[in-house]
Amino acid sequence: MKLSKAVLLANQAKQPAADRRPVALVCGFSPLHLETFLAAHLRERFPESSIPIRVGVFGDVTGNLERLAGSDAPSAVVLEWQDLDPRLGARSAGGWKASSIASILSEVPQALARLLAALQKAAAHNTVVLAPPSLPLPPLGHTSLAQASPVELQLEDHLSAFVRKAAEIAGVRVVSRQRLDQLSPLAQRYDVKLDLAAGFPYRAEHVDILCSLLAPLLFPPVPKKGLITDLDDTLWKGILGEIGADQVVWDLASHAQPHGLYQQTLAALADQGVLVGCASKNERSEVDKAFSRPDLLLPAASVFPIEAHWSAKSESIGRILKAWNILPSSVVFVDDSPIELAEVQSRYPEITCLLFPRNDAEGVWNLLAQLKDFFGKPVVVEEDLIRAASLRNASTWAPEETGSAASSAFLEQIEAVVTIDTRKDPSDPRPLELVNKTNQFNLNGRRYTESEWRTLLEDPHSFVWTVSYTDKFGPLGKIAVLAGRRAQPAPEVGAWVMSCRAFSRRIEHHVLDRLYAELDAANIRLDYRATEKNKPLQEFLTALVPGIDGSQAPVLEASEFSSRQPGLPHRVVIQK
Amino acid sequence: MNSTAARLTTCFATVFPELPEAEIPQATISNVARWDSVATVTLLSLVGEEFNIEVDFDRFEELTSFQGLLHYVEERTSA
Repeated sequence: MKLSKAVLLANQAKQPAADRRPVALVCGFSPLHLETFLAAHLRERFPESSIPIRVGVFGDVTGNLERLAGSDAPSAVVLEWQDLDPRLGARSAGGWKASSIASILSEVPQALARLLAALQKAAAHNTVVLAPPSLPLPPLGHTSLAQASPVELQLEDHLSAFVRKAAEIAGVRVVSRQRLDQLSPLAQRYDVKLDLAAGFPYRAEHVDILCSLLAPLLFPPVPKKGLITDLDDTLWKGILGEIGADQVVWDLASHAQPHGLYQQTLAALADQGVLVGCASKNERSEVDKAFSRPDLLLPAASVFPIEAHWSAKSESIGRILKAWNILPSSVVFVDDSPIELAEVQSRYPEITCLLFPRNDAEGVWNLLAQLKDFFGKPVVVEEDLIRAASLRNASTWAPEETGSAASSAFLEQIEAVVTIDTRKDPSDPRPLELVNKTNQFNLNGRRYTESEWRTLLEDPHSFVWTVSYTDKFGPLGKIAVLAGRRAQPAPEVGAWVMSCRAFSRRIEHHVLDRLYAELDAANIRLDYRATEKNKPLQEFLTALVPGIDGSQAPVLEASEFSSRQPGLPHRVVIQK
Repeated sequence: MNSTAARLTTCFATVFPELPEAEIPQATISNVARWDSVATVTLLSLVGEEFNIEVDFDRFEELTSFQGLLHYVEERTSA
């Protein structure tokens, strides 16, 4: 992004809007273009939002962090070496002699310790994104440029220990120096003239790239949930139907290592909870044979479902989406055939279709990095890890129930327990994640920033319930969230979401039933809004409030609910 | 208006969106309320980007009017 475009976008970001995304920008130098580019990148992501950015005073990064961070806004903390000791910057002439270097080396760990304490304090209240120093060290030390000096190595050591400790603090996200190095050449980052003239050390190209990394860490995009892969010349090298299951390869000796690396990546993604399915034009029996090979790096158990037949790929994709019960926009499809990708894309424009670059090791390497970006998330929670298993179980336990609600008789025999945790836990990322990624059973489609969610949690009149579910087929983990405020004349529910994995079990009926009881309420007001995507929620409410149209918040009477609910077959545990 | 002046006007309009275009040729640091040191650096950086020149930030105390900047850009681009 050029500076001219950034200034235009930053000006737009200053305009008032209904959606506000305030950010605290913490740095020790003059924020200048950093503020501009950060506002611009955020405005590009959120074109309807105002993005007020608060900045601190010059030369006091720790003080700025203490003053600005941890309030109602996430913070971006951008460090430079001079923040750790002014003698490491060009604007100070405090000395680079051996005696000064010894003093610098003793000062830096103390400055880092103060920063770490301030980070810990700030992150207890809100997200803090930390960008470690990205400029080269000044030319100090006795070695030539080609030789790493002991002072440089010691400073890097101190920094790396600090960054590792910072990354372990819940709520702190560290900008990847490796990613920054890939995108922004080290030698082209520093603008010494601008640093000396105005106290701003970065060239525009570098600050643009830095902000392109800060923005998604401040407000992380929703990661993709599922990957559907082709098999022949994608998951392995060779055509199954031509050479047989024993002859397809994915190893170094067979010159097929990129396929092995792809398998390894998919296995890692599955391990962190990404759904992995396959769509292949093949005989099912041959595919099963290939998946039974013990040397496969992607275990067959990690792949569900497997669609292998001769129909159109888009038909397979449709069935997989149904089995996973997720939206096309949450899915990546990988195939080595541009025609297959085009066919799928024409039927499902929202799916991200990626070409597997056959015979192109560099292309595959880039594809693996792309996949990391599409599926990356700040933390992996327990529910991510059991998602695939629970979907597989879902297809086992009630195949005849597909597309319809399960019968009471069936539900009564599955030994289900619905656990409602009414404690508000700001350290648990799962409720907000659920609220922000659930579309189908979602009361109104509203998304919350981390700051808004924290404000809700801190409201003494609010209630935030996190619902878990288990039955004899296994746990589903935390699958629903309901949040609102105790108000007069009726409590108001502002957010209610449930994972699609938990549909058809009447969990939502149990939750509503307990809500009346726990709040001792005769009526409940639902901040309901019909969206394009929340049809399951609409159907649920229509069954309880006939004629509901989504244009105004309905009030649901306890007596009406009791007379219309279809039966509550599960045991409910309330955690307080 | 020559093309240098027109391009410089665009830079001014980007940094000072509230300034009417007709007033830009007369703009100085004294008659534009939002023209502070931050705006100066942003404006000079934009001018550098637009005209592909290395702006001499040491001279930014002289470059405090549209006409002054126009003269500076013409001097730098004709060199």
